[in-house]
Amino acid sequence: MGNQVVGLGLVAVSLIIFLYYTAWVILLPFIDSQHVIHKYFLPRAYAVAIPLAAGLLLLLFVGVFITYVMLKNQKGTKKAQ
Amino acid sequence: MKFEWNIEKYVPTFSYGIFMVSLFTLSFLGFWGALLPLPAVLMTKLAQWLWGLALLGSTWAALTTGALGLELPSPCREVLWPLPAYLLVSAGCYALGTVGYRVATFHDCEDAARELQSQIQEARADLARRGMRF
Repeated sequence: MGNQVVGLGLVAVSLIIFLYYTAWVILLPFIDSQHVIHKYFLPRAYAVAIPLAAGLLLLLFVGVFITYVMLKNQKGTKKAQ
Repeated sequence: MKFEWNIEKYVPTFSYGIFMVSLFTLSFLGFWGALLPLPAVLMTKLAQWLWGLALLGSTWAALTTGALGLELPSPCREVLWPLPAYLLVSAGCYALGTVGYRVATFHDCEDAARELQSQIQEARADLARRGMRF
């Protein structure tokens, strides 16, 4: 039960992100700049800046996690000695 | 204040050159030929992927920097320059969605679980009979 909720939640999230991002990058340039829909989207530069920042943040978390695990193991073996 | 990067002058020419070479190999050897300029024995999968990425990357760079001298319409240029970021985000969304779908549709095999439990009980009884202590 819980698995299905989590799974479908992931599918929904990925679908929403994909559709919003596709509209932002692919569809918006072809829509007249006076149209009201442009109000719902940030300036175009953010379409590259936000995923880039998110990717760097992900790398940061992965690096911090690896460092934490390595330090914990090191401390563990030192205590055993 | 105008700051000039000297290397910028050479990037369009370089990507233009790679683009022309790849166009040449594509037209003479077909699509897979472009991915495999060397005999299959010499080119590993990694090399093939890197080569494919280099081709696509150079094509994109040549088109975005206007090195080919093509006057693309403004909306097309607007779509073209964020394209690598778009493809990365789409690939990430696809991966996330696939993982979520597989998690949601993973079936419990109740019969197999019960059978496994009974087999475990059998094995424990058998080993206890032979003298092993748990």
